[in-house]
Amino acid sequence: MDARPLRVVCYVNQYFGTLGGEDRAGLGPQAMEGAVGSARAVQQALGEAGTVVATLACGDNYAAEQPERAVAELVRLVAAAGPDLVIAGPAFLAGRYGVACGALCAAVQAELKIPAVTGMHAENPGVELYRRQVHIVSTGGEAARMGDEARRLVALGLTLARGETPGAPAVEGYFPRGVTRNVVTAASAAERATAMLLDKLAGRPFASEVPRPAFPAVPAPRLVKTLEGATIALVTDGGLVPRGNPDGVEPLNATRYGAYSIEGKTGLDAAQYDNPHRGYDTSWVKQDPHRLVPVDVARELEQQGAIGKLHETVYSTVGVATTLAHSARMGREIADKLREAGVDAVILTST
Amino acid sequence: MRLEMGTFPVTDIAFDGSTRWEAGRLTVDRDAVLAAVREDPRIASAELEIARPGESVRIWPVRDVIEPRVKVQGPGVCYPGVCGRDIATVGEGRTHRLAGLGVAEVSSVNWHDAGGDFVETYLDMSGHYADMYPYRRLLTLCLVVEPDATLGEEIKNYAVHKAALTVADRLAESVRGLTPPEREVFELGPVNPALPRVIYIWCVHSPQAMSGSPTAFGTATYGLTQLTPPWYLHPNEILDGALTGPYRTAFAMSWTVANNPLLLDLYRRHGKDWNFLGVISLRTEWTTQTEKQLMANQTAKLARLLGAQGAVVTWDAGGNEFIEVVRSIQACERLGIKTVFLTSEDDATDGAPTMLEPLPEADAIVSTSFFKNVTLGVPPAPAVARVIGLPTKQIRRGSTIGLHGGADAMLPTAGPLPAPWRYDDHYGFGSLSCIE
Repeated sequence: MDARPLRVVCYVNQYFGTLGGEDRAGLGPQAMEGAVGSARAVQQALGEAGTVVATLACGDNYAAEQPERAVAELVRLVAAAGPDLVIAGPAFLAGRYGVACGALCAAVQAELKIPAVTGMHAENPGVELYRRQVHIVSTGGEAARMGDEARRLVALGLTLARGETPGAPAVEGYFPRGVTRNVVTAASAAERATAMLLDKLAGRPFASEVPRPAFPAVPAPRLVKTLEGATIALVTDGGLVPRGNPDGVEPLNATRYGAYSIEGKTGLDAAQYDNPHRGYDTSWVKQDPHRLVPVDVARELEQQGAIGKLHETVYSTVGVATTLAHSARMGREIADKLREAGVDAVILTST
Repeated sequence: MRLEMGTFPVTDIAFDGSTRWEAGRLTVDRDAVLAAVREDPRIASAELEIARPGESVRIWPVRDVIEPRVKVQGPGVCYPGVCGRDIATVGEGRTHRLAGLGVAEVSSVNWHDAGGDFVETYLDMSGHYADMYPYRRLLTLCLVVEPDATLGEEIKNYAVHKAALTVADRLAESVRGLTPPEREVFELGPVNPALPRVIYIWCVHSPQAMSGSPTAFGTATYGLTQLTPPWYLHPNEILDGALTGPYRTAFAMSWTVANNPLLLDLYRRHGKDWNFLGVISLRTEWTTQTEKQLMANQTAKLARLLGAQGAVVTWDAGGNEFIEVVRSIQACERLGIKTVFLTSEDDATDGAPTMLEPLPEADAIVSTSFFKNVTLGVPPAPAVARVIGLPTKQIRRGSTIGLHGGADAMLPTAGPLPAPWRYDDHYGFGSLSCIE
């Protein structure tokens, strides 16, 4: 086994690098030899297992105001130091610092293939931004227990540097990354279910096998105009596509959507449309597409002046077994395009 | 209700002389069984083949797997109401079953003609793909059957499923008059009133919304498949086949319903760990939010009126059906009924929640891991020496090949084949889970 001590590079902000306070927050990236500032706690925690060969520092404002440039410059400094492991922070509750730690760790892993670890408080914005890509150790809000927390960063970092898979987030003390994997358990799922029910009924502690997810509520926005002055768009996840499905919208697990012009149309001709959706009986929509995308009635309302204008593009995808990640992305992209086109409201027909 | 279940283990099967069971060996009079199947003029062709555990054999397309059961004493017939059978309430008296044996219904007939819902299941008797299913351990008698091609889809479904039941009946008849080597009495007798009262909320899919037909073939309650408000079933009714498959996945077959390990575990703990109240069977895939919420409310209300303090919840579908399932859990919890949910999980790409609507009330979940074979990382099933059924299988875009993309393709069934797109161990047969 290779007993060579690990080469570790630390990343700190101007404050934890003892370069100054808020007045030095504009400082650009720089490399200092050995362990400086809070990196000394990392060196202490490493003991014989590794050496902090360099401490990189960057001002909080510099990193926040030009994040891409700052990360690119820092990645070059990391590469020059040739470490086996990067330890950033811990950043505690410091927002700019936390985001920079997350961004640097993500970039180092992706571009240099060097393992990286950071630490911060649950409410640091860097957690939500980077926990999926980076192992982020959960720390307190302040630096009061720096030695302790540096030890936890180092322990997780050493595991990653050895190429090993860390234990569960709750055990190792890092934020869940949403990276799930299959395991074979000792008992069948049926046996685990009855055991869990016995525990729950008896008021004993039990561990749900699916963590409670953070699932942000989406409030329905209010229409700030009257309908008479509003531009209305038709959007559907019911799978209406032009015949031949030119965008190749998948019949399930969709990753694509189409944008289809209805300019000059007072209605949709069934002969020109098709529907690949595999989640419902599509024969009625194929017979009359207005059952899904009511261009006919919307045009009438437009003529009558009941709505200001019907948006000339219909967006359509297939909503069946579509992953949340793709749903969120497609929704964002469609919403951006609608907003850019000055659309005020959407009628979204779902199936 | 008191039901005595007599079990006849089958350890060997062969085509030979008369149909009879003796000391674990089942012989099947192939000609007589096939003649019974062909009595139905709607059947165009029928053959019987045997698949044994460990053999390099693949069965495609598998519409259902049925465990032969016969009513020996008491009212009604096993698998009541299915394909015109008697609908007398079952669950009492004595039933005999052939254990370790499955009758596979192998046919190209699709569930319905509304599109979008295809028979995708094939079964292997050896290899990694086989090891994921309980059928791997079953001696399987395959009925390869095709109906008159001129018939409508619903009649075709009726005809081929009736044919498979005919085969199962013929085999089960052979043990009607014999003394079972194993017996178990199932009864929800009086128990210590201090024990907590527990109900099983068993959600089963209805094909009505997909097919547009209230009589489409699929998971049935006394033969009915339409969307109905929650049923209250005595577990003995289910042991007699009042609830049957099949649905889209290999875990939603009649065999898995009749052998549901969770039901049996709940039942066998009656009087020891709890007072088992029975089963509420909720139909899923209601089409509007109002209907979904109404079914959830009514399910929880029924559970409370029955006195439930705890509930285990399972389901057999994926997608919008989740809403009435998880809302039922929420409604139960709000009435003070403590729930445990046994479910598979969706794709967690980018750390997305794996539940379609993750409600905080669903705080006790047992995971059978991902329901998509692609996410599970199941490699293609290997080439096999023999195929029972059709020589080619259509692999559909967006489903079986990868998650997104590829094109529809017709592949030789005997060759390496991507696993059907869904896995989904609805009743917890296996030991898979999913952790971070």
